[in-house]
Amino acid sequence: MILDNVITAILELANLKTLLLMTVGAMAGLLAGAIPGFTIAMAIVLTLPFTFGMEASQGVATMIGVYVGGLSGGLMSGILIGIPGTPSSVATTFDGFPMARKGEPGFALGLGVWSSFFGGIIATVLLVTIAPQLAKVGLEFQPWDYFALIFFALTVTASLAGENMIKGLISGALGLIVACVGEDDINGVQRFAFGNDFLGEGFAFLPVLIGLFAFSQLMSDVRDTAKARKSLTDMGDVSVRIEHRRAITTIFRDWINLVRSSLIGVFTGVLPAAGSAISNILAYDQAKKASPTPEKFGTGHSGGIIAPEAANNATAGGALITMMALGIPGDIVTAVMLGALLIHDVIPSPAFISEQPTIAYAIFIAFFFANFLVLVLQTGALRGFVLVTKVRMYVLASIILVYCGIGVFSLNNITNDMWTLAIFGVIGYIMRNLKFPLAPMILGVVLGPIAERWLSRSLALSTDISEFFTHPWSLFFIIASLFSIGFSLYQRDRGKKVWTLWYAPLLMLALTIPLVMMGGTVRPVLAGLMGLWAVWMLVRLPRNARAMQST
Amino acid sequence: MTTMSRDTIVSIILLLFCGFLIWAGYQIRDPQFGELPPAAWPKAVSWVLTGFCIVYFVQSLLADRAGAEPATVTDGREPGLAGWFRWYFNPIVCLALYFTFLATLPYFGTLIGGILLVFALLSFLGGVTPRLIVNHAIIAVISVGAMWLLFTYGLRVLLPRGELFPGI
Repeated sequence: MILDNVITAILELANLKTLLLMTVGAMAGLLAGAIPGFTIAMAIVLTLPFTFGMEASQGVATMIGVYVGGLSGGLMSGILIGIPGTPSSVATTFDGFPMARKGEPGFALGLGVWSSFFGGIIATVLLVTIAPQLAKVGLEFQPWDYFALIFFALTVTASLAGENMIKGLISGALGLIVACVGEDDINGVQRFAFGNDFLGEGFAFLPVLIGLFAFSQLMSDVRDTAKARKSLTDMGDVSVRIEHRRAITTIFRDWINLVRSSLIGVFTGVLPAAGSAISNILAYDQAKKASPTPEKFGTGHSGGIIAPEAANNATAGGALITMMALGIPGDIVTAVMLGALLIHDVIPSPAFISEQPTIAYAIFIAFFFANFLVLVLQTGALRGFVLVTKVRMYVLASIILVYCGIGVFSLNNITNDMWTLAIFGVIGYIMRNLKFPLAPMILGVVLGPIAERWLSRSLALSTDISEFFTHPWSLFFIIASLFSIGFSLYQRDRGKKVWTLWYAPLLMLALTIPLVMMGGTVRPVLAGLMGLWAVWMLVRLPRNARAMQST
Repeated sequence: MTTMSRDTIVSIILLLFCGFLIWAGYQIRDPQFGELPPAAWPKAVSWVLTGFCIVYFVQSLLADRAGAEPATVTDGREPGLAGWFRWYFNPIVCLALYFTFLATLPYFGTLIGGILLVFALLSFLGGVTPRLIVNHAIIAVISVGAMWLLFTYGLRVLLPRGELFPGI
């Protein structure tokens, strides 16, 4: 069955047009990822208008090409000029740039390129094996569980805003409000329209997203005239040859680091809202802690390049797992992909993989193939990168600004969308400057209507609110949400304040309740193990607390 | 006397916005069917947002009282309205140009309007010398022309045409 689906998907993708589109997408992603100031999400957003006229599998394959390309492209500028092309390559710069400065830029690039490739391949294997299983779990979900899952996704997004958690929460709630404007999906009643036709039509999700994210980013890029007039070649030398063989040998010698970092990447991707910007730093941190020579990290150590690059590519696989299995976008990139699929009337849900196996497996295969494609294209992209680095930032920004408008228009062929883009561009720019994170707002806009729909279905089945606490998955997500709200405080005080020692055991104990309620064999056993571990942590708590206080 | 930080001012504006949202929530028509009235979700979200904004307001006030460095520090910009205007001059002009492009779109159409917009943006951000003007004009014509051709003939999108140049 799986083999049949794989073969059908390969046949679906194995035509010249799709392969060409994926190649162009991967190349565009590599270049966009390499240019500081242009994030992967922006590259995906800019690709979107081209996918409207394509078939669903072609469109998604192209976007996956851009996604994987963007993740790999970020390492080029990070290693060669010390400025990470995307937030997902920040940690690569810690060791990549010093290694390049020491006269080994080709080796540093080789490590980055091959670690990205292996990370992507490990993630593909996990994507193909985990996504269908997770989808089976998703089939158990009832409306209450879905609503709680979305609630969890929103709280996690906000809590990852770090010190600005309250701003993250406000941003998420603002996103939910934006999604309310216009005609209500359930009853067809206009909300927050005030008799205005423009508001009455509501805001289409993609113009809002492009405005909030891409448009406002471009405004930030041109704020400083001196910086806007600079090209990357003003910042460093970018001509170099990649050392492939030496890099592969080094990576194989450090395979534990590679596998660990890839797993960190996949796990981070599976979590809603925790993208590659987080996973690369987490993986770097773990590689440093596990290394026998942690003092060498930051000075041009190979492990410091392998870890973040394997992790950031693997994160893409993790994010796709959640999107495909549960229909919940894990980050901005998968939110855009979800939007693209919806345009083609393909609605990701737990039944998606079984009901639309051709498209689902086409996504798996496209992700697998994109990693090979990016590997092959890296050398060519490096030459392209050298050319792009000669273009001044303001030239790129001006052209892309107009492109955003035209691209958005092509979505529904109405100029209102162009106005929406500009208005949300202003809002996004203001929010950026006031240090409000944009990701929660974007996810709020995407998830708001879905949350309302599931809430409505829940209440149609039963008006008893206690149902949210008696359904095991719903309870599971509500508990996880409550703890996720306190996560940023936990992170801030971890290792400094005694209360943080209670956080993990209490979370585990609380989660044992819904796991036991789920029944069967595996989950209650898992609950028992978690409970035992939590008790063991609580027993050790006084000793750990004394140790913490004494230090 | 404690001065109000930017966060406090923003939180007050947000609270006023929340008040408006709550009022607007009560203006939503109720068709009297279905378990979830159309106003219920927006109202609930408005109240949640209000709660967050109150926390933000209190946090900002406490930070002001403690004389703590505000979380949103100004990045070396000059104080006062003139300093603010100078700091955000480029984005303000770019946005103004973009809104002008949108307002004049029914007259100029996408191709001419787009070329004019790119040329104006390039000249404003990149500076104006005879050589740069020629460069910017070439970049504007080629980039927008290519985009227009791609969308019109490649993707079959009927881009907005202008009254002044109905053919394109």
